[in-house]
Amino acid sequence: MMTNHDWRRRFGLREAGVYYALLILLGVLAAIASSRGLPPYLSAENLGNIAYQASLVGIMGVAMTVVLITGAFDLSVGSVAALSAAVLVGLAGSIGFVPAAIAALCTAAAIGLINGAIVQFVGINAFIVTLGTLTAVRGLVLILTDGRSLMVANPTVLAHMLAFESTRVPIFWASLVIAIGIVFIGIRQHRLATIAAGAVISGLALAGGSALAVAIPVIYLAAFTLVMWAVLRFTVIGRRLYAVGGNAEAARLSGINVHAYKLGAFLLSGIAAGFAGVLFGCRLGALNPTALQGTELTVIAAAILGGTSLFGGAGSVVKTVVGALLLFTLTNGFNILNLGANFQGLIEGVVVVAAAAIYTVGGERRRARRPSADTAPDALPITEGAPA
Amino acid sequence: MRRPMVSSPLLSLEGVGKTFPNGTVALAHVDLAITRGKVHGLLGANGAGKSTLIKILAGALPPSGGTMRWQGETVRWQAPRDPRRAGIATIYQHIPLVPTLSAFENIVLDATGWCRNSRQDRERVARIVASLGDRFDLDALVADLPIGARQMVAIAQALAGGAELVVMDEPTASLTGDERETIYATIRRLAHEEDKAILFVSHFLDEIVALTDEVTVLRDGRVVLHAATVTLEEATIAQAIAGRAVTAIERTPRRAGAIEPRLRVENLASSGKLAPANFTLHSGEIIGIAGTLGSGRSELLQAIFGADPKATGSVTLDGVPVGRFPDETVRAGLALVPEDRATQGYVPQFTLAENIALVRRGPFINSAAEHAAAEAAIDRLAIKAPGPDALVTELSGGNAQKAVLAKWLTPATRVLLLDEPTAGIDIGARTDILRLVRSLADDGLPVILVSSEFDELLAIADRILVIRDGRLVGEVDPHTTTETDLTLMAGGTLRAPAGVAA
Repeated sequence: MMTNHDWRRRFGLREAGVYYALLILLGVLAAIASSRGLPPYLSAENLGNIAYQASLVGIMGVAMTVVLITGAFDLSVGSVAALSAAVLVGLAGSIGFVPAAIAALCTAAAIGLINGAIVQFVGINAFIVTLGTLTAVRGLVLILTDGRSLMVANPTVLAHMLAFESTRVPIFWASLVIAIGIVFIGIRQHRLATIAAGAVISGLALAGGSALAVAIPVIYLAAFTLVMWAVLRFTVIGRRLYAVGGNAEAARLSGINVHAYKLGAFLLSGIAAGFAGVLFGCRLGALNPTALQGTELTVIAAAILGGTSLFGGAGSVVKTVVGALLLFTLTNGFNILNLGANFQGLIEGVVVVAAAAIYTVGGERRRARRPSADTAPDALPITEGAPA
Repeated sequence: MRRPMVSSPLLSLEGVGKTFPNGTVALAHVDLAITRGKVHGLLGANGAGKSTLIKILAGALPPSGGTMRWQGETVRWQAPRDPRRAGIATIYQHIPLVPTLSAFENIVLDATGWCRNSRQDRERVARIVASLGDRFDLDALVADLPIGARQMVAIAQALAGGAELVVMDEPTASLTGDERETIYATIRRLAHEEDKAILFVSHFLDEIVALTDEVTVLRDGRVVLHAATVTLEEATIAQAIAGRAVTAIERTPRRAGAIEPRLRVENLASSGKLAPANFTLHSGEIIGIAGTLGSGRSELLQAIFGADPKATGSVTLDGVPVGRFPDETVRAGLALVPEDRATQGYVPQFTLAENIALVRRGPFINSAAEHAAAEAAIDRLAIKAPGPDALVTELSGGNAQKAVLAKWLTPATRVLLLDEPTAGIDIGARTDILRLVRSLADDGLPVILVSSEFDELLAIADRILVIRDGRLVGEVDPHTTTETDLTLMAGGTLRAPAGVAA
């Protein structure tokens, strides 16, 4: 059974703010679109587009969340994705799509391992290490491409690559079934949050109509998110990732191999960036050496919007994906409604800072109501109050 | 207003008390007079109220009762800068210097004005440093100075700020023998030649006797002894610190001889921290480790547990080496409850149940079993918590400590290492924990218990090893030893030369 304060916490701004923000934004944009006589904003095609645009950042964001949970940081994901795309596009013509994709993923994984090994075993701050690899890997991309755009010339390979990236998958019935399933699970477990989530998903699916279909990267994103969510939520590995970020010394003294978990997070981040790069390379079958520059900042912004702590020990991959959707909904809304693209950067920045402010202020208020364990030896435990 | 006379104390406290909002009485009623030209020693066991008293003097805590007079006038400090302005400087054990600035800049850190490196300041500081008797390079970065010289920088900083009274909180705890002698010489010179007043807090009885002119002993927030040092002997002071045994639990009767050897520690050493240690722990036996802060007691446990990468020597459990890293030793069945639960013991973002489940293995989280385990721990250890889902940071210190202990109460634990399991927790929780440890040992679990509460060791240990300066210096039988003897051995005249090399 959920007690009253549990209930208020779960639906408070701090816990669920990013969902509210996305729903409100969608509602506002839909209202503006209909008031201006534009085609309906919440159409299947447009929602699918938003998800498609957010998929690469979402995939990297899920892995970034895991890195942030362990208390580290990875700035190099944009460059690693570009390098992976360069390896793919450069090799696909000669060795075929699948071997080239494997080579690209291995390259990206190697850079993830290098990042992690330097951070863990040399002991340099992750911010500095990955700032260095951000620059160095971008330099590697320029060397490999000689500063020119690469293209896949072989038409069969190109077709293979385009198929890998741009196949559209109908998801109306699937999402409806999943949504109803979630609602049932929620009812069985008496969890209002789960019921609400299922209701919202089914609402969006119904709004999209039976023609609802998405490009396959969205499916990849959904599958990756689901797997990582399950790992973090249900496995001991997941709990140990949180423990390593929450208190590395306590984790170490509990017999957890802290090095392995931190290294694993960097490896995952490298592979996810590599996969995003493969998708990016397949999108056009070509690569501009400056592509994906600055993506790492969007990825981190998505994680922050999702409430992931930069100090480790807390974070949710689902909320990071919602944060990515929120950012791309903003972009998409500005484009579709023609609201002045010049304002876009300003609004996005304000949204990110406002979100961080809500999380920080909400967190402080909760902490202020709670006696610290070591200054109040005899205080009775105080139940936490409602957050802001 | 009465004019201060020359012989009147520089600082006097009358009936100063401190009660925390949650009802903990840290200081009950303290009278203290500190005069110029004297070194005043302040002693007391853990939790006797020393730290609270120092914080009150430094303006970091307001007293909840009593009066404080500075040079004859009643004062109430609002913030730490008030006593500094008046002329009280407090040097904490962990010296808060800026390591990236030079010694000179640290000394004039609180100076005002525009010029960063004025010649006037330099000359003034040079005079102060000369008066300390131990020279160090004023332009060296503090990070490059040895720890003894950093103490000197801190003292010079205090004097440069115009201090008349210097409060020193265990200034020698982390120093080697030579560095200690230098600090002693400086302190004597300050008191006897510069006419400053020194309040010197220490655990080491021999240095209190050698250095101070008068001694005040606190126990349970009260002054239990105040006398001129020349009239006292170390044993008298130790008696006053320990007091009548306020033991939480009764001494256990002598038990039948220990049965089979389990954990064998051979030549376990760590360079600079721990001299080679040898002992054997038997099944159902509790070995107490008696030592003061900084004596190497925590380092010994860390070395056994594989948490010290520099440790050498061998640790075997039932003849099998336990491993070199915590993940290996935990798999072998060792369990460590670390000294500082907040930084080493629990994960603050986790609930009680999650913290207890931290050492569980297996691919999947079994929520039902973990909840049941947490409920069982709540019952068994009498943890006061709203439920298994309460955040561990919501619990009081004693209950959080029980949670840290509870995570090891699994059948996989074959040896329990406890580092100060009762530090900073109330008497009720302390009794609960000690009873539990005793009953675990009675069921056959071997236990090593480190504590600075010697009465606890005497009450539940089967034998006690005394550690000092990183070296095991003796073994005593708790049934024939008093707390006074133990205090003397751990911090008294038998002190071995410091700076142990492995």
